[in-house]
Parts: sequence; C-alpha cells; structure tokens
Amino acid sequence: MTLQHYLVISAILFSLGIFAVLTRRNAISILMGIELILNSCNLNFVAFSRFVTPPENIDGQIIAIFGIVLAAAEAAVFLAIILAIYREFGSIRPDEVDTLKG
Amino acid sequence: MVVLISIILLAPLTAFAVYALLGLANKGNPRQDVLSTFAMLAAFICSILLFWQIDPKPVPLTIDWISLGSITFSMGFYLDSVTVIMLIVVTLVSSLVHIFSMGYMHGDPRYPRFFAFLSLFSFSMLFLVVSDNLLGIYIGWELVGLCSYLLIGFWFEKDSAANACKKAFLTTRVGDVGMFVGMMMLFTKFKTLSLYDGANAGIFTLVEGLSGTGDMLWLSVAGILIFCGAVGKSAQVPLHTWLPDAMEGPTPVSALIHAATMVAAGVYLTARMFPILTTSSSLVIAYVGGITAIVAATIAIVRFDIKRVLAYSTVSQLGFMMLAIGAGSYVAGLFHLTTHAFFKALLFLGSGSVIHAFHAMHTHHDEEHTDDANHEHDDHSLVHEHGSEIPPDQDMRNMGGLRRKMPFTFITMLIATLSISGVPFIFSGFWSKDKILGGVLERAMEWNSIHHYILFVIALIAAGITAFYMFRLIFMTFFGEPKNQEMHEMAHESPWVMTVPLLVLAFLSFPVVNHLWFNKDFVKPPMQHHIHAPEHAQVLPDSKTHNTEFSLAFLGVSEANAAEGEENGHDSAHGADGHHGHSPAHTIAMILSIIVAGFGILLSWLFYHKRRLSAEAVSTTFRPVYNLFWNKYYFDEFYDGVLVALTVWKSRLYAQFDGSVVDGIVNGVGTVTRDVFAAFTGFFDNSVVDGIVNRIAEVTWTIGGRIRRIQTGAIQTYLFVVIGGIVLIILIFRVL
Repeated sequence: MTLQHYLVISAILFSLGIFAVLTRRNAISILMGIELILNSCNLNFVAFSRFVTPPENIDGQIIAIFGIVLAAAEAAVFLAIILAIYREFGSIRPDEVDTLKG
Repeated sequence: MVVLISIILLAPLTAFAVYALLGLANKGNPRQDVLSTFAMLAAFICSILLFWQIDPKPVPLTIDWISLGSITFSMGFYLDSVTVIMLIVVTLVSSLVHIFSMGYMHGDPRYPRFFAFLSLFSFSMLFLVVSDNLLGIYIGWELVGLCSYLLIGFWFEKDSAANACKKAFLTTRVGDVGMFVGMMMLFTKFKTLSLYDGANAGIFTLVEGLSGTGDMLWLSVAGILIFCGAVGKSAQVPLHTWLPDAMEGPTPVSALIHAATMVAAGVYLTARMFPILTTSSSLVIAYVGGITAIVAATIAIVRFDIKRVLAYSTVSQLGFMMLAIGAGSYVAGLFHLTTHAFFKALLFLGSGSVIHAFHAMHTHHDEEHTDDANHEHDDHSLVHEHGSEIPPDQDMRNMGGLRRKMPFTFITMLIATLSISGVPFIFSGFWSKDKILGGVLERAMEWNSIHHYILFVIALIAAGITAFYMFRLIFMTFFGEPKNQEMHEMAHESPWVMTVPLLVLAFLSFPVVNHLWFNKDFVKPPMQHHIHAPEHAQVLPDSKTHNTEFSLAFLGVSEANAAEGEENGHDSAHGADGHHGHSPAHTIAMILSIIVAGFGILLSWLFYHKRRLSAEAVSTTFRPVYNLFWNKYYFDEFYDGVLVALTVWKSRLYAQFDGSVVDGIVNGVGTVTRDVFAAFTGFFDNSVVDGIVNRIAEVTWTIGGRIRRIQTGAIQTYLFVVIGGIVLIILIFRVL
C-alpha cells in the first residue's frame, strides 16, 4: 500500500460525495454525501501523516480525530435543521424549499 | 498483590457505579444492599489474603499520573503492615455495618441509595489508606468528606440533619485548607508529593537528608499545617463541634464513618507523616490531643442523648490517639485506633439497636401516618443543635432496665464498655490505652519534660472520666427500673442481621489480635529524624529526680537548641517505641490506669446504680462547672457569637456599601449619560447618521431589485455553481 492507493480511494469517496450532494432529492442523502466528503479528507490527512511527515509528528492523526468530532457535531446540527425544515414545509426535498427565490 | 489491591478498591467502587449508572432514574437497584455487602465482603477477604503476602520491605507501586514540564505527579499504593491492618479494620467494620444496616435501614424510601453511599465511602477510605503520596491521600480525604456530608444529611427532610451535614463539611474544610497549605510547603521545598521512594526520592528520604541543616522552623510549620487537616477530620479541639452534630445521620453511619474509620483517618494521616514531625510540632499535636481528650470526656459526663455521649467519647478517644502520636508512641496511637474502631463501632451499633427498638414503638403509635416509611425520622424534627432537645428514642432518661428486653445488645455493649473503660487484661482497650499512657510517661521520664508529665496526668484523668461516663450510659440504659413504661413495653431485641455484627465486634473487643502490635518485626515505627530530647535530658539520666526548676527551662525548647541536641537526642528518640512493655514507666502507667478506671466505675456505680450519691446534688453544688460541661465549653456559642455574627455583620456592611456607594455611583453615571451625552448623540444620530444610512439603503434597494433574478432558491443549484466555480478556479491556476 502506497500513498497513491489512499489518495485514489479518497478521491473516489470525494467524487461520490459530491455526486450525492448534487443529485439526491432527499436532504438525508445529501447529509450522507457530506459525511463521505469529510471522511475522504480525514483519510487524506491520515495518509499524508503516515507517509509524508516524520513518524513522531502526529498532527495528521490529531486533525483526523478533530474531523470525526466535527462530523458528529455537524450531523447533529444538520439533523436538527432538517427537522425544523420538515415542520415548516412538510417536506425534506431541497428543491421544494425555495422561499429564498428571488 | 496488585490483583488483590485492585479488587479491594474496585469492588466497592463497582457497587457504587452500578447504582450511579442504573439507579438514579428509577428507585435504584432493588438489591443494592446485597451487591454492596458482597463487594465489601470480597474486599475484606482480599485484605486478609493481602495480610499474608505483606512485604517486610515494601516498595510503592506507582505510575506517573500527570507530567507538567519537569514535575511529575505520581499515583500509587504503598502497602506495609500498618496499611494492611487499616485495610482489614476498614473492610471488616464496613462489612459488618453493611449487614447491620440491612436491618436498621429496612423500609427506608432511599434504602438502595444508602448502600451505594456506604460503598462509595468505603472505596474512598480504602484509597486514602493505600495511597503512597499526599495527592492521593488528599483526593481520598476529600472524597470521604463528601460521603460524610451525604450520609449525615441522608434524612435531609430534617432541618437539623441538613444543618449538621453543612456544618460538618464546612468545619472540616477549615482544617483542610491548612492541610493543603502544608502540602504545598512540602511541595515547594521538595518538588514532589510522594512520601516514599519511587523513581525519585520521596519526601521522607528528603526530610532525612535535611538532618541538622539550619533552621527547621518551616518543617515544624508544615507539620502543624498538615496536622490541621487531621484536627478537622478527627474532630480535635477546636474544630470538634461538627462530630456530635454529625449524629443526625443514621446510626450505622455514625458507627462506620464517625467512630471507626473516617475520623480515624486524621490519626492515620498524622501517623503517616510521623517522619516529618519535629520536636515542636509533636508537642503541639500532643497538647491538642491531650486537651481534646479531657475536654470531650468532661462534656460527655452530662449528656443525656445516648448518641451524643458516644460522639463525645469518640472525640475524647481520638484525642488519646493524637496524644500518643505527638508523644512519639506511633505504635500505641495506631494500636488504639484499631481497638477503638472495633469497640466504638460496637457501641454505636448497640445504641442503634436500642434506638431501633424504640423506633418500632414510634411506628406502631403513628400507624395512621405510616404511609411514608420514613415517618419515624420526621416526627421528631426537633432542632437539637445545642443538645437541649433530644429525640425521645435517644434520650437515656427514657431508658432503663433494657437488659432483660435486649440481652444480646446488653451483653455486647457491656463488653465494649469494659473495653473502652480499660478494665484490665482481658479487654483490648486496656492494652492500647495503657500503651498510650505508658508511652507518654516514658517520654516524660526519658526527656525529663514537664510537658509530658502534664499530658500524662491529663490523659490519666481523661481515662478515669471515660470509665465513669461509659458506665453511666450502661447503668442508665440497661439497669434500674424502666423510666418510661410505655416505651419499655414496646422495646424488643433486634433481628439477627443486627445482632450478629454486634457479636462479631464483641469478639474483637477482646485482645484477639493484640500480639501483632507487640511484634516489633511486624510493626516498625518509622524513623523521626527531627525529634530531639532537650539537651539536658542526658545530663539527668535519673529521671526520678524530677526538678521543676530545670524543666521550666525546657518550656522554651526552641528549634535552635533542638538542632544542637541532635546527636545526643537521636538514640532516645528512636528508641521510644523499642522497649515498650518492660520499662518502669509502663508498669507505673498500668497500675495508675487500673486505679483510675476502677475509681471511675465505682463512682458511676454509686451515682447511677446504687444511688448512694445524687448526680443532681453534685451538679447543683458545682453549678458553674456543670454549666460549662452542659454547654460544651461554649464552643458553639463562641462560633455563633463571634465567627458567624462577624460574617453576618461584615456582609451587612458590604450590602450597605453596595446599596449606597456603589449603586449611587452607578446611578449617577447613568443619569449623566442619559441626560447629557445621549441627548447630544441622539440628535447627531437622527440627522447625520440616519441620513447616510437611508441614502445607502435606497441605492442598495434599487440594485437588489435588479439582480434578485439570479436567486433560484434551489440549494442544489447553488452547490452546482460553487463546485463549478472551484473547478474553474483550479483550471485557471493550472493554465497560469
């Protein structure tokens, strides 16, 4: 396993995430896409930390852990927003939520 | 060894954790009592096993806990013979109290919580006992304080209990501040809080290295400050007032925490710190102990509440232990600690058994109200903070003649009383008390020190008074005719879960394990490198030719001449515990202590059984002295009148200052701001600023109307634009 393998996996995850975010018609699926994007970043951090920086430097791992914590917090907030949107609009399809339309 | 100590500590902690994690939402684990009791019994068995494995040359089992720069705080255990004996005493008394509580607390609405708290207490106490460093001891120390608070206030519906737990917590905190400052003094000097050598040298080794180097005043001060913590926790004068009030807690709690274990923690701490005590700090400790012994004993004479008598008796006995340690009799102090733990726990559980008998009467009489099982504790919610109003089921004047009704309780309590009174030879209390008296007299003779002669006389008188008031309790409770026929009718022997612990403790009030304390290979007192006899002690080897004029000169034993006298004083100081039991001092002390105990019992018999002498007549004759004892030397009044009143007065003063000066300034500033500055800036704001803002808003409005068309409101369109933009930017950068 070399750095390249990790980066390829990470890139695939990232693209899948972007795809989900742009095309899905359900806010929960969009959240799942965002989680994929975040995890692809975490994977990059860990991979670079393992292969590029000297072994005693563990900044990459630490940031990955921060990223996981961040994802948890973000999921909590996102789900709360979805709930609020559902109460307001009776739907969680983002294309139906267009009150901001000019 | 590590496995055993882990089980000892973790078993009670687990029992508490089960309650804490599962219990709080609903009424708690219904079988918390069984769980906690088995955890304690497991800890007890492991302590016994540990006893057989004890290392003659113990090494601390430590890990580094916190590293801050160059300073590392370690955390670990130190297991020597004294520690293991303490472990056995704590786990055994705790197990028995758990079993007793199953009967005593039966039907209480917070029954599981009681056992959970007992478990937490046991864990904290055991942690305190085995810690090898001051930080660990301090953590355990504060945890037992917390448990004491929770358990004294267990029936918090009663105002008196709620007040008592706050009083206990705050009073001990006064001592703890001193202890913390003492710890910090040692820390600044030695850069470590470990007591024993681990990876680095511990405090005791470092103290040894200080021998004879210059001014040792700071070490005396540090020793006394740490002793302050013990003064609070072990209820020594002047911080003893919380312990009698702590009797508001359930009686098993009084037996476990406020008689056998937690209050003895102060004595244990002082004994642990033995190597850092200097001549003058030892003397302070000895005096505090001696004064406590006699003050508390005299207060106990006139109390009528059975639990208060025992509470003051506990304070007095703790004074004896402190006196022993202050006089250099390390072994005697700890020996008395263990014997006292057993017989005083027995006395408290016995009194609990008596109170329980009367409780039953209460519930019977108030049957129409017993929807709440806790009722019997509520219906006498008298405020008896000053001992003037006593709950009827604890008032010895309502008792009498109970020996036929409660034979087991009577016999076991009688054994404990004989033990605490110092009835010779077949009771453990005699041996330990005699060892203390002998130790003090020995020190007095060796050093030809008037201080220790005074302390010996004080301790002897206190021992006599102890015998007197303990037999007063027995005679008033169990002998004579019933005073309150109605209550007497209802009294009954307690169930077996309550009598079995009494019998076990009664067995331990005989000298069954004494030989351990007389085995010099098993219990070795640590070296005291900074204890010195006054330099004249060697000049006068014949201490019988006691010369008052000479001794008066020693009243000012200063640090300076103590350092000079180090060489010649060394041997005698270290030998203090070495030749116990054979020296003339011990023979004299033994004979005298038998005489005073006999005298105390005789007087008690004449006053309270034969009625040849009238207690009322004596109290009238010596009215001022009686009043002094009855009002407990006015300690509470002093604290209320001086400290509390001062605080309240100070608060009023501050409130007044706040109301007039601070509020005046604030209001004045406010008025000026509003009427002067605000008027001006308001005008400026309305004309100039609003004008500019309105112009800008109009421009924005016009532009916004034009470009609002590009907002579709669909979030995914935005995202597409964002990502497209990013891709565009990346492409541009590649091209450039």
